[in-house]
Amino acid sequence: MRVILESKVRKKPSLPIEAEAIIPRNFLKGTDLVVFEGNKERTLSELFWIFVEGTAVSPENIEVVLKGDTSRIKRVGEYMDTGTILIEGDIGMHCGNFMSGGTIEIRGSADAWLGREMRGGTIVCRGNAGHYCATGYRGEKKGMQGGTVEVFGNAGDFCAEYLAGGTVHIHGHTGDFPGVEMRGGELLIEGDATRPCGNMKNGSCVILGTVHDLLPTFEKSGTHLLPERNLEMDVYTGDVANRGKGTMMVASRALRR
Amino acid sequence: MIEQDVVCPFCGCLCDDLEIETDGARIVRVKNGCSLAEATFMNDTRLPAPIRRTEAGWEEISYDEAISETAEILREADRPLLYGWSSTHGETQSIGVHIAELIGAVIDNTSTVCHGPSILAIQEVGHPGCTLGQVKNRADVIIYWGCNPVEAHPRHMSRYTTFATGFFVPEAQRERTVIVVDTRRTDTTNIADEFVQIEHGGDYAVLSALRAIVRGKAHVIPASVAGVAKEQLVRIAEICKNAKFGAIFFGLGLTMSRGKYKNVRNAIELTDELSRHTKFVISPLRGHGNVYGSNEVFTWMTGYPFAVDFARGIAFYNPGETTAVDILRRGECDAALIVASDPGANFPRAAAAHLAKIPTVVIDPHVNATTALSRIHIPCTAAGIDAAGTAYRMDGIPIRLKKVIDRGYPDDAEILRKIYDRLDGGMGP
Repeated sequence: MRVILESKVRKKPSLPIEAEAIIPRNFLKGTDLVVFEGNKERTLSELFWIFVEGTAVSPENIEVVLKGDTSRIKRVGEYMDTGTILIEGDIGMHCGNFMSGGTIEIRGSADAWLGREMRGGTIVCRGNAGHYCATGYRGEKKGMQGGTVEVFGNAGDFCAEYLAGGTVHIHGHTGDFPGVEMRGGELLIEGDATRPCGNMKNGSCVILGTVHDLLPTFEKSGTHLLPERNLEMDVYTGDVANRGKGTMMVASRALRR
Repeated sequence: MIEQDVVCPFCGCLCDDLEIETDGARIVRVKNGCSLAEATFMNDTRLPAPIRRTEAGWEEISYDEAISETAEILREADRPLLYGWSSTHGETQSIGVHIAELIGAVIDNTSTVCHGPSILAIQEVGHPGCTLGQVKNRADVIIYWGCNPVEAHPRHMSRYTTFATGFFVPEAQRERTVIVVDTRRTDTTNIADEFVQIEHGGDYAVLSALRAIVRGKAHVIPASVAGVAKEQLVRIAEICKNAKFGAIFFGLGLTMSRGKYKNVRNAIELTDELSRHTKFVISPLRGHGNVYGSNEVFTWMTGYPFAVDFARGIAFYNPGETTAVDILRRGECDAALIVASDPGANFPRAAAAHLAKIPTVVIDPHVNATTALSRIHIPCTAAGIDAAGTAYRMDGIPIRLKKVIDRGYPDDAEILRKIYDRLDGGMGP
């Protein structure tokens, strides 16, 4: 089954919409769902043109397609456990919060907190991701714990903060403090990064681009060859400001302190 | 008439030993106060009545009219923002929270542009703090990091630290070691025993290096960190480890520079590390007189200290998403009520510009930069001058603000209670 939600023109287009109801499983019972626009409760049909193609007997066979201006829609895919969501444009904050299964593909860019506290499943973002991509909620000791987040553009500050499990792959650059407070999991940054892995406790981070302002509390422990890319990497252990059991690998030619 | 033990409501020190001489409804002399206190009490110029913007300019309106129109603006809004609260008393702040809950608004206070990052850091790793009395009586090492108390909190040093005689530090000036960390020389650095000059944005790296040195990992640290020589960092770590009682105070140089809450978190974790060797505490130097109180009141009532979003009827908190600057910058809110603060003067341009686009109402004793962006300005009492109420000092101590004179203005709590009644159609909180 394919559910197409095309956003309607709104009187106040800057108002945020909170739409955690948009997950494939919910469309098994129909499209009579409720979302919030600012402080007002709305039905899905007040904000979207809804088209349903075919039928489904289980949620994994449901694909939800979002079209139009979806950049202010928050929480799409929150607690999603199966099925597919395809977003043709940009998406608002908290896309894929607490997701445990299924796939979200974003053809545009994603706002902040993409895949927050994700447990499983896959998120692919073809554009850029905002701040706090693949992290946790404020004060939470574990951020993303499982699954995969792949961003083909750049990611903002604090990418993979408190990463505890799963894989985060950023094809472009990241902002300040990627992998800060990392506890586990794998972070791969193909572009540049600033002050990576501050206060890291565990896990591994690989940076293929230039590192700006490497923190003074990472101890170089050797070199390593990445055979698939034929790159020699400097291996650091840290952050020694705490227990320092994390691994950070930086392309040897690229370090700038 | 001379009133003793008056509390100055200007900054987070809430000095409670002022002597104010009045002549009817006029303050004629301020004794014991700093220059900021004197200006607060003596230069108290206010609007005579509420004003409303019209095509032809400003017009005076009655309080009743202003309150009705404000209630109407808030009722019509889909995403109202209630911001400010830090220069008034707790009683007003609590009514603000009730209004926010009633109309599904976002309520935020000035922490969002000052020590909000400190709160985020505290939520991550806790707050090893103490009262200013403890610091005064015990601390023999004082660190001021990214702040300039000589100019921003002029009596902090004389009442609590460098120049204050304490029970266990009777000869304060001789016995206390003062370390100042800043990016440039200030009046505070001039009286420091040790001045650590770091490069802009280098706080996090320096704090990490100090933590590593205290942990015995000095060999990892390079010869210079953010412009600070390793020798100086090792010396400072030794001073701190050998202290009987150390206290770190930090300001916006730490919270609002690159890294923000991670800087504060790192400072807290350094404090934690030092407490394995001796007793160390850390506290923010809070700016507005009752900004700490706004955090207290919001937390009692909503569970969160600032940036609380009631859009869905329950409290949601996520700085970066529900903070006033971000909501304004994204153009989300369609009405704003500004109470006891001046975002027009200190918000980023895009955020302030949005305030001018939407119906904005200001409730504040004084005309300020936000007035120029607003549709209505309602003058009221000033907490601690012509209104009594509860305020919280920067160390979390509640202090009762006194009413020194009566200038005939309504209390902002009374104005807000009437707005609540107009919105609810019944009894106010």
